[in-house]
Amino acid sequence: MAQHQAQPLPLHFSGSGSEYFRLWIVNVGLSIATLGIYSAWAKVRRNQYFYRHTRLAGAGFDYHGEPIAILKGRLAAFALFAAYTAASSFAPTAAAFILMLIMALAPWLLVRSLRFRMHNTSYRGLRFAFRGRTGPAYLAFLLWPLLAGLSLGLLWPFAQQRMAAYTRNNSSYGSAEFRFSAGAGAYYAIYLMTLMLGVVLFAGLMVLTSILGSNGWFAVEEGQLTAMSLLLAALGTYLGLLLFAYPYVTARLQNLVWGATTLGEHRFVANVSAYQLLGLMLSNVVLVVLTLGLYKPFADIRLARYRIEHLHVLMEGNPDDFVAGLQADASAAGDEMAEMFDFDIAL
Amino acid sequence: MRVAAVYYDGRNAKAHPVTLCLEGDKLLLQGKDVVRRDALAGLDIQPPLGSTPRVVLFADGARCEVADNRGFAELFPAADSRVAALENSWRWSGLALLLVLATAGAGYLWGLPYAAQNLAERIPAELAAGLDREVLADLDGKVLQPSGLSQDRRRGLEAKLAALVLPDPAVRPAGLEFRASAELGANAFALPGGSVVVLDALVELAEDDAEIVAVLLHELGHVAGRHALRQMLQASAVGLAMAWYLGDFSSLLAAAPALALEARYSREFERDADNFAAETLRANGLSAGRLADMLLKLETARQSRLDGKFGAGLDYLSSHPNSEERIQRLRSQ
Repeated sequence: MAQHQAQPLPLHFSGSGSEYFRLWIVNVGLSIATLGIYSAWAKVRRNQYFYRHTRLAGAGFDYHGEPIAILKGRLAAFALFAAYTAASSFAPTAAAFILMLIMALAPWLLVRSLRFRMHNTSYRGLRFAFRGRTGPAYLAFLLWPLLAGLSLGLLWPFAQQRMAAYTRNNSSYGSAEFRFSAGAGAYYAIYLMTLMLGVVLFAGLMVLTSILGSNGWFAVEEGQLTAMSLLLAALGTYLGLLLFAYPYVTARLQNLVWGATTLGEHRFVANVSAYQLLGLMLSNVVLVVLTLGLYKPFADIRLARYRIEHLHVLMEGNPDDFVAGLQADASAAGDEMAEMFDFDIAL
Repeated sequence: MRVAAVYYDGRNAKAHPVTLCLEGDKLLLQGKDVVRRDALAGLDIQPPLGSTPRVVLFADGARCEVADNRGFAELFPAADSRVAALENSWRWSGLALLLVLATAGAGYLWGLPYAAQNLAERIPAELAAGLDREVLADLDGKVLQPSGLSQDRRRGLEAKLAALVLPDPAVRPAGLEFRASAELGANAFALPGGSVVVLDALVELAEDDAEIVAVLLHELGHVAGRHALRQMLQASAVGLAMAWYLGDFSSLLAAAPALALEARYSREFERDADNFAAETLRANGLSAGRLADMLLKLETARQSRLDGKFGAGLDYLSSHPNSEERIQRLRSQ
């Protein structure tokens, strides 16, 4: 802990499942009735619902995205996808070309989308901003993931660290800059831990099936017990990791990323528990499936509440002083920047 | 009337407690260190959104938040939006729910099979054949072993099949593949690209070649209808949609309901394939009953396997439901 008192301020989420359900179903219905066109307006309302219900130190966040800009982004994405599908059934070469084009454009599109999203997020009347340049985006979003793929995933934690560092180090709130300090080692530690869990799970299942098998709990032919146990343990480990690894990695990553982020002199701390996240995600999936998808809005609210309320801001000094030093960034307010924010590809 | 609000000037994060009231066609905003009058026409009064605070955006980037929703509605009665009214009503959201369910149901029942059929017909033959090679290479060494049938026996069966008169010569299988399998038992199946795999146990179980040919024709029916490809496309479309909807959490859980939903298609496809086999058998001077004989034999073999050994594994009939109904249909044709 630092010498001076850093005051942990929790974020609150006040959204409710039944309220959001009505909002969600009406917006889905309107989107269907308008053949998808309304979905851009629906997205704005959905984001506004979640942002305005997220509160920190008595003030809410807000979303300012223009539906028309989102509609443009969606039409462009849809056109690319349609071109790709049409081409892939008639001209595979053209389809491969379109796919390469999409990949080559992806970092550029991502930068524009990040700018759009950050610029359109506000808190206490001040906007967030993203000012990452396109060149480094090609390294972070294309080169490193590509190398991670070529190295059979060995470089994936490193690529993930590069992406997080690029997005966070280029983001700001008002006049305060975000900084990201986690190294690739911390990412490797998370995945190594996942690997270890897999090994422990495998060993445990191996012992268990050997004992059960030798006591005749399942049919096994003479001399085949080791092979059978190996197979069952491998299957169990695969299923176990498929189920547990995602919430585990998600929880550890959220804690790592926020713990390594600073805004000016303020820090953050996330204390998401992998165990609780697993319970939440599993029950959400089961309920969504059992209700033929109708539980989805409730699930979204539950997950948002859990993630938001397990994030704290460690404020240096008084929360009132926190805001006093924050000014709108003059360069972000310039009109020439406005036309850069007309596009959102996030679907 | 006055409503309490919080004002942010858009240049500094400091919160100013203020009150709002109307002065003719102007909004008067008053606080300890801020006073402003703005024409209502120049303000962006945001429509209500659930129980979130009401928001007024000023042209210069300033912002005003009002937690008191009712007070705000009295101050600006005209600012309510149609969409917000729909969202706040259980009746309208119920209607929206019906519309969504009807659309989703229709899409699943008619849209999906239609799209899969259209797409399956457009997939180039080379691509489908490549798919078969991949599937076979994947199965070989895992559940499939080399066939123990002699070259002559295989040639004989291939020749029998080649000699048949088929309704459409284009539906000849891309290839007849002979394999053995301890796990799959007496079985034959069509791969997505049009190859048909025959397992040794099925050949041994058959009384004569006509019975084998009957089963092969049933599989050719699947090939002609591109059933495997359509089933694959439908299952992956449903799986993809589920994974997207559930939020990429655990593709396993997403795939489970997809498979359950897709099981329904098997029966329709089986009937189509049976019809195809029956017609072709008749066209070649054979009885459709031969397929029924073979199905009965497979059913008996399956029963004895189930009784005999725990975990006997998959066989021909467990992937082809309702064998009794099918046998009766074939007998009556």
